Amino acid sequence: MPGITQVRWCGFGGQGVVLAGLLLGQAGVLQGRYVAGSNSYGAQARGSGCKSEVVFSDGPIDFPHLTTADILVTMSQAAYDQYCTDVVPGGLIVYDAPHVTPRKGPDARQVGIPATDAALNKLRNKQAANIVLLGALVEMTSLVSPSAVERAIGQHGGGRFLKPNLEAFNTGREMGRQVHG
Amino acid sequence: MLPEGMYYFSGNDASAEGALAAGCRFYAGYPITPSSELMERMAARLREIGGVFVQMEDEIASISAVIGAAWAGAKAMTATSGPGFSLMQEAIGYAAFTETPCVVVDVQRAGPCTGQATKVGAGDIMQARWGSHGDYQVIALSPWSVQEMYDLTVRAFNLAERFRVPAMLLADEAVAHLRETIKISDAKEIWDRKKRTGASPFGTDEEDGVPPMPAFGEGERLAVTGSTHDDWGFRKTDDPDVHARLVARINEKVLRQEQAIGETESSFLEDADTAVIAYGFTARTSLYAVKQLRKEGLKVGLLRLKTLWPFPESAVGRAGGCVKRILVPEMNRGQVAGEVRKCVRCDVEPLGLTNGEVVPPDAITDALRRMAR
Amino acid sequence: MTRAMEQYLRPGVKATPFCPGCGHGILMGLILRAIDQMKMDMKKMLFVSGIGCAAWIPSPHYDGDTLHTLHGRALAFATGAKLYNPDLTVMVISGDGDLSSIGGNHLIHAARRDIDLKVICANNMIYGMTGGQVASTTPVGKKTATTAEGNPYRPFDLGRLVTAAGATYVSRYSVTQPVSLINSIKKALRHKGFSFIEVMSPCPTQFGRRNRLDKPEDLVADLMERCIPEEDAEGMSEAELAEKIVTGEILPCRE
Repeated sequence: MPGITQVRWCGFGGQGVVLAGLLLGQAGVLQGRYVAGSNSYGAQARGSGCKSEVVFSDGPIDFPHLTTADILVTMSQAAYDQYCTDVVPGGLIVYDAPHVTPRKGPDARQVGIPATDAALNKLRNKQAANIVLLGALVEMTSLVSPSAVERAIGQHGGGRFLKPNLEAFNTGREMGRQVHG
Repeated sequence: MLPEGMYYFSGNDASAEGALAAGCRFYAGYPITPSSELMERMAARLREIGGVFVQMEDEIASISAVIGAAWAGAKAMTATSGPGFSLMQEAIGYAAFTETPCVVVDVQRAGPCTGQATKVGAGDIMQARWGSHGDYQVIALSPWSVQEMYDLTVRAFNLAERFRVPAMLLADEAVAHLRETIKISDAKEIWDRKKRTGASPFGTDEEDGVPPMPAFGEGERLAVTGSTHDDWGFRKTDDPDVHARLVARINEKVLRQEQAIGETESSFLEDADTAVIAYGFTARTSLYAVKQLRKEGLKVGLLRLKTLWPFPESAVGRAGGCVKRILVPEMNRGQVAGEVRKCVRCDVEPLGLTNGEVVPPDAITDALRRMAR
Repeated sequence: MTRAMEQYLRPGVKATPFCPGCGHGILMGLILRAIDQMKMDMKKMLFVSGIGCAAWIPSPHYDGDTLHTLHGRALAFATGAKLYNPDLTVMVISGDGDLSSIGGNHLIHAARRDIDLKVICANNMIYGMTGGQVASTTPVGKKTATTAEGNPYRPFDLGRLVTAAGATYVSRYSVTQPVSLINSIKKALRHKGFSFIEVMSPCPTQFGRRNRLDKPEDLVADLMERCIPEEDAEGMSEAELAEKIVTGEILPCRE
């Protein structure tokens, strides 16, 4: 399918995986792209495996689920181990360093972002790691624009969370710029 | 109502918005995965626009409250999943027999029993049709996208009101939890129930067999009962003719409209020798698979069922007359495949997957390639 | 039933469907007297019932809107109708088995919500329509079609049950106490909240004949002796009260 980008974001329940996927997808819609997002989770609200997949396209999407990821974002070792080989050759893997240890093997660019550490040490809010990763991802790819994500945060992560979310997003963008060079 | 425009909604959100657009102003429900987000949205939105929301003590109470509200004049709905849908069946039979318009959204998950509560399935197709005792009809629609979670919820309300029958949206977890871009526009047809002062509410000479329906409190002194009743609602529990006539009418008023109610969509069927017949999320996968195989030169096509009950026999029969074989992929062990077999003479191969996952495109392309050999 | 109440009956209704000696016919008239004295507008009254003998008290006999529902579910149907149209006066009339056994969960939740429903529970202490099986209200030791040796389990105290669940007007009377019962129904009609009136009603066909109260008048006499107003019960010993049914307001409402 031409003009299609598939993103898989995964980790544990409670890490904000679903919200990250929602913000990414909403940002795409705000930019006028066709988007299909789906989540998979277990019955436990906290701690079981969780993934959010977003398909971006320039036209209507036939099959809305992810087939092979162009971009994989992993927030846990278990998620990394499960999905790191299911990435297109030359794709991108972003992982939460140093909590996830990458392996050799995947034919993809692998980038460690110390998102949880930054969330804990700089933002004093471990729960912001997902938004930090989102900021880094936006800088490393041209998937969606930063302003579209900011508007999406206003829609779905607003209220009293707006300020800390935007702060986390900007922290992530800074980290992404350093990686991107 | 929401302003016209593009939205990034989950299927559950879209169904709730479709209900409101259709005029739904009463919702009663009980939490159950994977339908709960629909209830949460209705709770918030009915409060905003001045409708009634109530979370009941169980699913039996939910559908009962919906029927009570419908007779008080409301367009009313509930949403649930397999286990709750099972609990609602007796009252769905009540709604069919008392000709109460109402909408039930069943977001199907992987059963039987508690099964895999967060995983997808399509095992309630037969339950939707035969779940309550006795002979009755319902209408059931099958959405394949978030857009159709909206559009077909509107249609379910219209059909429920038009024919005074419970209408169901047989969604599945994959479509209900999918998020997609959808277009909401003001241009849509809305059907409101017929009313005629002094007319009998349970019998009619009209050709469509659908009597007008007044509401409680309008001075019509309604007598509503789930026992066999005459045109005015008087219990007639010993009269064989009254029973036969009533059962026949509540069935025929729906079955006679099979072609009007039944919506299907064909793709690449004109020159196909093999057809896929599919519905819900699986139809989406099927179209993707058919397009792949067309590139390889295989003469395959798709008939998508947007209506499941009354079963679109005419369209399925026509498709079956033009192809040599039919594949029916579904997330159950052949519930619709069996219905297809009743309508066609060619070979029908079921492809039933019950592992809590959607039918993957490969499973359909592999089966079609094998069938083509 | 005197002619005076005929205006409240649906045209075409000729007779009650109840057995000779059944208390439900008396209750049917007493409810209408309360409605008559309160000058209620029958066009705005909705009577909801479940399944069983008592469910036939309003349906289809009363000349308002009647909704004869599923076994046990009357309160859930009534909740939907009342919430959507608060202008309706919604009265739920059904039996003990319907409201407190199969419908027990709906009963406690309707009481908890304190929605303005006027519930009249005709308690004949047995499943009448299905042939006299033991109920959740059958006293210990009484014989039924499914307890030939006598009921081994305790019955519900319905008044205390719904009071604990949150009802805001609760009373218990017998059809042998017509004046008090009419007054209580009138209070329920005035009260804006969940009202529950338990009405003891004799069932000679299923209860009486199995418990040595063969003739209807025996059962009525037994009820009259056993049902005592709460003021008479004061000072009585536990042994004296064992066989008694104390009547009166269990939870008075603010007027």
